Amino acid sequence: MSERPALPTTGRLRSLLRHNETGLAGILVLITVIAAVALPAFRASGNPSEILDNASLVVIVAVGEYLVIVTRQIDLSTAATLGLSAYLTGELVGSLHVGVLGPVIGIVASLGLGAVLGLANGLLVERVKMPAIIATLATLSIYSGLQVVATHGSQLYADQLPNWLANIVSESWVGLSPLVWAAVAVTAVVTVVGRRTAWGRDLYAMGSNPEAAGYLGIRTSMRTYQVFAACGALAGFAGLLYAGQYGNVDATAGNGFELTAIAAAVIGGVSLFGGSGTALGAALGALLLTEIENILALLKISIFAQQTLQGAAIVLAVAGYALISRRLDRPTRRHLGTAEDREGAPAAAPAAHSSAQELRA
Amino acid sequence: MRRLRPIRRWESGLIALLAIVTVAGAITHPALLGIYNLQTMALNNADLALLAVGVAPVIITADIDISIASMLALCGVLMAKLWTDGMDIWLAIAVAIALGALLGLINGLFVVLLELPALAVTLGTMGAYTGVAFLILGGQAIINLPQSLVTLGSGNIGATQIPISLVVVLVLAVLLAFVIHLTSYGRSLFAVGANRQAALFSGIAVVRVRLIAFVIAGVFSALAAVLYVGNYDTAQATIASDQLLPAITAVILGGVSAYGGTGTIPGVVIAVVLLAVLQAALGLAGLSGQAQTIAVGAILIIAIGAGAGINAVSGLRRPRRPAISEQLGSG
Repeated sequence: MSERPALPTTGRLRSLLRHNETGLAGILVLITVIAAVALPAFRASGNPSEILDNASLVVIVAVGEYLVIVTRQIDLSTAATLGLSAYLTGELVGSLHVGVLGPVIGIVASLGLGAVLGLANGLLVERVKMPAIIATLATLSIYSGLQVVATHGSQLYADQLPNWLANIVSESWVGLSPLVWAAVAVTAVVTVVGRRTAWGRDLYAMGSNPEAAGYLGIRTSMRTYQVFAACGALAGFAGLLYAGQYGNVDATAGNGFELTAIAAAVIGGVSLFGGSGTALGAALGALLLTEIENILALLKISIFAQQTLQGAAIVLAVAGYALISRRLDRPTRRHLGTAEDREGAPAAAPAAHSSAQELRA
Repeated sequence: MRRLRPIRRWESGLIALLAIVTVAGAITHPALLGIYNLQTMALNNADLALLAVGVAPVIITADIDISIASMLALCGVLMAKLWTDGMDIWLAIAVAIALGALLGLINGLFVVLLELPALAVTLGTMGAYTGVAFLILGGQAIINLPQSLVTLGSGNIGATQIPISLVVVLVLAVLLAFVIHLTSYGRSLFAVGANRQAALFSGIAVVRVRLIAFVIAGVFSALAAVLYVGNYDTAQATIASDQLLPAITAVILGGVSAYGGTGTIPGVVIAVVLLAVLQAALGLAGLSGQAQTIAVGAILIIAIGAGAGINAVSGLRRPRRPAISEQLGSG
């Protein structure tokens, strides 16, 4: 929403309040405070860090998914990429004995494997001109089939992993586990790249209006390859961390993860219509989803009701964002200010915007 | 040129592909076309066929519904639960079908009236519906359903070798094909899918057309639930959760564009048969489920890729509309 025309300085605070992320963080804080007061088990030592640990992988995949969704594409194959990478790179670093180089090789290999798998999606979408949802549905089948072939029915166990990987949850760097730091780093980097670089702005332009983005001279094909590769790379990286976090990796590792990650991004305000949302929002969405899950589990609400509530949360979140953004797109009197403004360009811009949105809807 | 048109049709390509797979499979493993194998194929893909043709109208309007498998589970569970609570099985089936219509309507109301992305809404309702199915049965399974339902799902017609469910599927598919291809509702459906704005300006009740498409998907999911529960004689919340991807795959393989506006019901039915034969042939060849998964994904890519390639060479049977149109409904 920050593409909106600049507001006067007195409106700074108001504009901050308009960011989806501020509202999301507010809800997160509110739920945390209520849960902490009402539920002793929630503030019990260990639980807060457990929430963060559990959220980390979802955060990383959701942030990758954000890059794809913001260009008005989608990637359903992330879970299979994660699972394949968990087994293959887990096995790779387990068989290497290169000391300090181990983490570097592991990270590079997982990112590289994920990027190759993601690039294949990009090629199908951009070269073969398949709709992203179909292309990645097909690669989801293929990659998860490969996952079973690669694991050939066996498992990877925690004791096969090197210490640096097996301890990513138990170790603590300044209070947080390396796993959480990895998620924080990914979110920070992608947020800055997405919002503050020309590359990131290209993605928003493509998502808002793919045709216009082409006319603007944006290399849309190249960007499509890049976002799918980046999304795959992050899913691959999450796979390496998955091996470390859970220890056991089998053929079903990561199943269902793609929908959780998309749900997190959607709850975080990344619009499936493309062109809006931030990596930070996707990360906060993942955190919110995990926290709600944790609270429901502590309340001993059956895992079955949890699924219903989570599903309802997704629908509510999407409906909420849609209503808010339509409210904001409607030119208001306060916004329009003087009479010239009302007839001049600034008034025309939001009007054009909302009609474009109607067209899309 | 006109004489050549049928050759270029998507369905002709599918039939050719089906013939190749069948002949190759039958030569290497003659058992493929044995009566037992054919019956098994028909019985085990009846629910898939209904899910696929049912969701086709939604995809033709450039929306998507990924809650179909969850609707199947919820309707099947409710039907079985009502029966164990003493309701007549036929009445329970009727209630389940009504529930399917209601669930589809809920999807449609969110997507159409609130103008939300269909993928996000049905992602949410997918979890919600499965969750409700779990709440009804608490993770248990109901087995030993009444004989009339089991016969419907897995029996043959009289003394013949023809499964009842095969006939049910064909009748329902013909009925739907009639509605989609030969009525004014069907024409509006394609108009809405091809260009929503233009359809609106030409006086089509776009909202109603899209809503009805979602209701059709719900009703067909409920019908699929009846055959599924009858065939496997089991109802629990996890049933058919693995049928979502094959169903969508069959719709797309059947020639329905994910961008909306094109596709036929016969095409979708042929695609289901193709997937069934392929799966059976690979199974007979001793290839595991994973190899089958890979093959299904690969054939989807090859078919769509080949279709795009042929279009590029020979002129546009499935014209690609400008990018602004939308992947939206689907993505």
